Parts: sequence; C-alpha cells; structure tokens
Amino acid sequence: MNKEKIELTVAVFFCQQLDPDQDGNRRVIEKELGPRIKFFPLPCSGRIEPLHFLRAFESGADLVFLITCPEKACRYQQGNVRAGKRIAYAQKLIEEIGLDPERLKLIMASPPLPKRIDLLTRDLLAEAPIKGHSLLGRL
Amino acid sequence: MITAERKPLDEIIAMISPYKKVLVAGCGSCVAECVAGGEKEVGLLASALRMDARMTTRELETREITLERQCVYEFIDQLTGLIDQYDAVLSLACGAGVQAVAEVFPNIPILPALNTSFLGQTKEAGLWLENCRGCGDCRLHLFADICPVTRCAKQIFNGPCGGSQEGQCEVNPDTPCAWDLIITRLEERGQLDLLEEVYAPADWSKKQGAGPRKIIREDQQN
Amino acid sequence: MKTESQLKKVLAAGHFAVTAECGPPKGADPEAIVKKGRILKGFVDSVNVTDNQTGVVRLSSLAACVLLRQEGLDPVFQMVVRDRNRIALQSDILGASALGIRNILCLSGDHQSFGNQAQALGVFDLDSIQLIQTARRMRDEAQIIGGEVLTSPPELFVGAAANPFADPFFYRVIRLAKKVKAGAEFIQTQCIYNMDRFKDWMTQVRDRGLHEKVHILGGITPLKSARMAEYMKKQVAGMDIPEALISRMKSVSPKEQRKEGLKISIETIRALKEMEGIHGIHIMAIEWEEAVPQIVEEAGLLPRSINV
Repeated sequence: MNKEKIELTVAVFFCQQLDPDQDGNRRVIEKELGPRIKFFPLPCSGRIEPLHFLRAFESGADLVFLITCPEKACRYQQGNVRAGKRIAYAQKLIEEIGLDPERLKLIMASPPLPKRIDLLTRDLLAEAPIKGHSLLGRL
Repeated sequence: MITAERKPLDEIIAMISPYKKVLVAGCGSCVAECVAGGEKEVGLLASALRMDARMTTRELETREITLERQCVYEFIDQLTGLIDQYDAVLSLACGAGVQAVAEVFPNIPILPALNTSFLGQTKEAGLWLENCRGCGDCRLHLFADICPVTRCAKQIFNGPCGGSQEGQCEVNPDTPCAWDLIITRLEERGQLDLLEEVYAPADWSKKQGAGPRKIIREDQQN
Repeated sequence: MKTESQLKKVLAAGHFAVTAECGPPKGADPEAIVKKGRILKGFVDSVNVTDNQTGVVRLSSLAACVLLRQEGLDPVFQMVVRDRNRIALQSDILGASALGIRNILCLSGDHQSFGNQAQALGVFDLDSIQLIQTARRMRDEAQIIGGEVLTSPPELFVGAAANPFADPFFYRVIRLAKKVKAGAEFIQTQCIYNMDRFKDWMTQVRDRGLHEKVHILGGITPLKSARMAEYMKKQVAGMDIPEALISRMKSVSPKEQRKEGLKISIETIRALKEMEGIHGIHIMAIEWEEAVPQIVEEAGLLPRSINV
C-alpha cells in the first residue's frame, strides 16, 4: 500500500509570553521541517492583523495557526480576546475567496504557562484536521 | 468623517474580472479612520484578490498605493505617470474620492471597492454612528446638540412621536429615541423652554434644492 | 348645500361626542368601506379613516372619506406626513374641503419600515405639528406655507392624536400643549387600558388648563381576547396594558373573552364620562366595527343624531 505522505507548509503565529525560551525551542522543529515551517512570534497575540494571515496564505502556507495565551491570562488583558475577533474576521474573508477557513486555526493554550513552543507545534501538526495542500499551495 | 464599508468580495472580483493590471488605491483619511480603505485594508484586499486570481487561474497583477486623500487634486496628481501602466484602478476611497480621481483620469476605469455610507463619528473602537445629514441649515444649538434630522427616523422638529417607548425609537429597539435624548439633555441644561417653540417647516431646498450642491470661495481661488 | 362638521357641532354644544375608526381595504373595491360605514351610521358623530396605517398600502383615506360622505357620514380625514410633501398635503387639504370633508386629523404616521413597502422613501417634509399649523393657517388666514394667498380657504375642524402612555411621561403634557399652541381643536388619545396613568395625565392636562383649550376624546379599543391583549402589550409601541387586565381576560374561557373585552370597554367609557375635561370617546375597533353599535348602546350613548 502506497501511502503518499503529504508534507504541508505551516505558519505559526504565537504569543511570546507563552514561551520565554521560544527562540531556542523553535530551532529544534525549524531544523526538522526546514522551509515548510515559519514561526512568527508576537509581543502579544492582540497585535495580529488579518493581513498577516492573508500574506501567509499568499506565500503558500497550507495551515496557519495562531496560538494565544490561556483565557484571562493575557498579560495585556484583552489581547487574546481581540486576537480571537481578528482571526474570525480573517476566516470569513478567506472563505469568500474559496479557501477553507479550517486552514486558519485559533488555539488558546491551556494553563499552566510556560509551554514549549516546539511541543505545542508538534501536537498541532498531529491533530490538524486538514491533510491536503491548499489550492494555492498546489499551484 | 465619511464612513464606508468594503463591498462583498464576490462583487469586487466580478468588477475587476475584465482587467489584468489593477492599481489598488487606498485613502488615508476618512476611510482609513473607519477601517475600510486605508493602507492596511488595501493590503488585505489586494492579497485576497491575488489569491483568488491564482486559484481561478486568472491573470492579475496588482500594485498597492495609498494616497493621503483621494478627493483633492494635489494628492490625486501623485498617480500621474503611474496610472497609465494599469488597466483599471480599484479605489478604496469614498464615492467623492472615486469620482474626483475619475475626473483627473477620465480614460481609465476607477472601480469603487467600497459602499459609501454616512457622515458620522467614531464612538468607540469598531463603532461608527451616523450623526449628520448635511441639511445645510444647522440648528443643533436648539436641540441640545442632538440632530433631529439625522437621529430621528421621521426627522421631526417638534418631537417626539407617539412611538417612542422606554427611550427607544419605534423603528429599531437598539436605537435611542433622538427626542428622548434631546429632551433629557435640554432638561439637564435647564433649556426646556426651547421646546415651547413650534418649529416651522424646514427649508429642504438647502439640502436638495437645485441638484448637487456647490460651495465657492472667491478668496480661496487662484 | 353647506356642509358642516358634525363633530364640531356636537362638541360646541357641550355634548359628549362619539367617534369611531375604520380602515380602508387593501384593494380598490369601494363596497368594503361602504359596508363599514353602514354599520357605524347612527351610532357615531364622525368616522375616522386611517391613512395607509402601519405603512401598508390601502385605498386612500381621502377616497374612503368621500365614499363615507356619500353614505351620509361625517368623515375625519387622517393625514400622515410620512408619504407626502407639503405641496401634496396642502393640495389634499384643499381637495378634501372641496369634496365636503370637514375634519382632519394630523399624524406623523408609523415608519415605513413596518409596512409592506419597507423600501419606500419616507417623506417627512413636515412633522405632524407643522401640519396642524399649516391646516389652521390655510383655514383662518387663507394662506399656504410661505404666505401666498388662497383663492378660497378650506373649511376644516383640525385635530391631532395624543399618547398619554408613551415616553418620556413627564413630557407628554408639554407635547399636548404644543399641539394646542399649533392649533389643534380636538384630540383623540391612544386607547386607554391603564386608567390610573390616564387619570394622572388628565390631572396634569387640567393643571395647565389645556382641557379648556381643546376637546379631548378618550381612545377605546375593545379587547377580543387575552392573546390580543398580550400581543398589543409586547408588540405595539406606545401601548400600556396592565398585567391585571391581561389576567382578567385570561380568567374567562376563550369563548367568553370577547364579552369580557366589551365589558372592560364599557367600564372605561363610564369612567371617562365622569372625568372633567373629557368631551367624548374615540372607538378604534379595527376589523371589529360590528362591536361599535353594541358598545355605544350599552354605554348609554344613544341616540347620536342630536339636533345641534
């Protein structure tokens, strides 16, 4: 049986407050996946703009994740709440052009912090509901 | 400011479909304030349109530019030299900007990416409210600075009507009755006597009178 | 033959007046309105005809008034400012008078978004108070807005509506005063269910001496059922129906509710007859015009054709 392993391109936006050692922890998984993974650390997830997500898809990402701090644990109070609204806006927008909104996922980390960004990412990749390339990724 | 909202994407996609090279032009004034047509929104829209073109195998080349204003010649002129390289301009300005650009460059289609809405204020982040209808005969000082033309659904000058219930307008339970607001504030200001007056019919010719309006200031002309 | 307003005559003579309301059909058949007129004839002094009520397209108030006039009734031409500008409104005032209609009621009108033409432009060139003022000026000074003189003035008894139950409560009497100042000669109130609140309003009306400047007719709408009462309480703006009344309607079997509703109306009328400053009643039995003769009779208000 020939199971073709589909290798997806992934973009991970995440809040730096989740993992103070994110700089080092990232490198492990960056080495393994090479150009197929890109990390975008944010000083607060609330700083995200829908434009960042669109550009990630435009550059060929098949999956885009936004990882925020746990509920009520945002260092700047409302950052993760705002992030949730902005990702919802972006999900609607990409749906309008025929991209599956499931490719853009919000993950609220569960307490306690800190978490290791590379472990978080591995879990996400394993559980990702979408297994295929986006149309843009294929073109 | 003038508020506007982006048209549905499928409408914009249909509008640009005949064109291969589109200049996506934003405006840094009113529409940037209401997060519909500023630099970020230009980026967002252009990215979405490029992705759509790729996914439907259509040819599309875009360039993004944001002018400080699209309703003033000096700013529009910044497009000179650049604009001839494109088949069409997708403008994220309000209707005034779209038309002003078209007057300077009449031979290139200027496509409106937004639906222009109303004159209003940013009440808080993400909330814009209409508060002026440009009637040309402002008498806000008589109505505790709350416009009955704009904020009363029946533009009553001697209000309220019988449908005002619990301070809400009969038309929309989320809309406060303008007259309830006016009366409350007049009372707070000790000016209720202003309402003893029976206000005469408005002069709508100042708004509508002779077609599109014009203002000329000779002292400002070249 | 000179036509005179029956309503005006009855009120001027100091008698307790009775008016009723009827709604024109959603069609061009004149019989529909004529039939209603025939039910009411002899039981009322005047009949109001609604003007595209709730923003629903119906046979025009003016045309329906003419049809009722032909049946020998004294119509009250209701005019809303929602649908016509000042040119049309003033023109219709002249037309109404020319056709022998002698009473008008000046109203804002329900917003167009409620009706079956929600995409229509709401005109609102004038408001209802400006319309009152305009009608009086046309009649008393033979002038239209702007001062141009009419070749002959209209003859009209000018009225307005009042809602003692809308908000803000303290302001409702000031609003009535404004209508009187603008020239209203008679007032028909919104239908009364909350007697305490109405008495409160009347006290304020009398304190300002308004009851001596304008004829006030109390509004009556008989309840057909407990469900109708609940619907009106929840869905109709400017309506005040006390819980006690709804319970009372619910306490009788559905078959008996109409009778109970009529009983309540009679009790309300009896209370209004005793009130200083109330000069009549206005019965709005929409789509239940047959109830009017019974109400008028049981309230002891017959006969109506008083020789005044």
